[in-house]
Amino acid sequence: MRYLALLLLFLTLSGCSLFQKQPVPIVPTFPNATPELMKKCEELKTIEGDKVLITDMLKIIVQNYTLYYECSTKVDGWQDWYNQQKKIYENLKQ
Amino acid sequence: MWIFTIMPDWVLHVITLAGFLFLVAGFILGFIPFIKKYSIPIKILGGIAFVFGMFLEGSLANEMIWQMRVKEVEAKVAKAEAESANLNTQLQAALGQKKEVIKEKGDTIIKYVDRFKDREVLKEVQGPERVKIEKVIEYIEHCPVPKELLELHNKAATMNKGEKK
Repeated sequence: MRYLALLLLFLTLSGCSLFQKQPVPIVPTFPNATPELMKKCEELKTIEGDKVLITDMLKIIVQNYTLYYECSTKVDGWQDWYNQQKKIYENLKQ
Repeated sequence: MWIFTIMPDWVLHVITLAGFLFLVAGFILGFIPFIKKYSIPIKILGGIAFVFGMFLEGSLANEMIWQMRVKEVEAKVAKAEAESANLNTQLQAALGQKKEVIKEKGDTIIKYVDRFKDREVLKEVQGPERVKIEKVIEYIEHCPVPKELLELHNKAATMNKGEKK
């Protein structure tokens, strides 16, 4: 009878430990990126023509600066996106 | 555990309870002279049923805890996904706004540059400011940008293309 009790205890405990080491069958989906961030940066403009006024050149330069700042905004956006998503993911792990 | 998918929970409780009752009955029957001989098979049967039932009870309890954890994680994942989507919406709005401001500022500067394109602007300004603008326009009209400088500019603007070095 003592052995039966021991066997009973063992089986009961082993029943409890059957599932403990399995991973939770839930995988969070990879977050979607903001659509604006997925747009590629535009190419910088070049100046065409033989006789170009300095104002025309200046305009192209200003347009290129605009393109640069638009692109740098996207890079900042990606950094923001990454940091925030990381925070969300880390909260999920807790 | 696969057995829980084909067997309702109450069956497990019944097996455990029946095993326990058989065990108790086996002990009690051991004191009754005529039925004494059946007590050992009843004890064995009850013991097996009770052990199996207890094993399943332990597994079931664990399964319940597990299911609860799964639900908790599911809720957390759903919350995280909602937060992520919300973040994307906010970020999209902020990026759109920043882009608009940059474009507006660029357009304003280009408009200002365009003022020097012809002499129309001179009609609007008077005094020393007019003299200054007149000088700028004169410079623009008489000094086109040398082709070499344009080529250098274009080279800088396309430095990410072509050969690596």
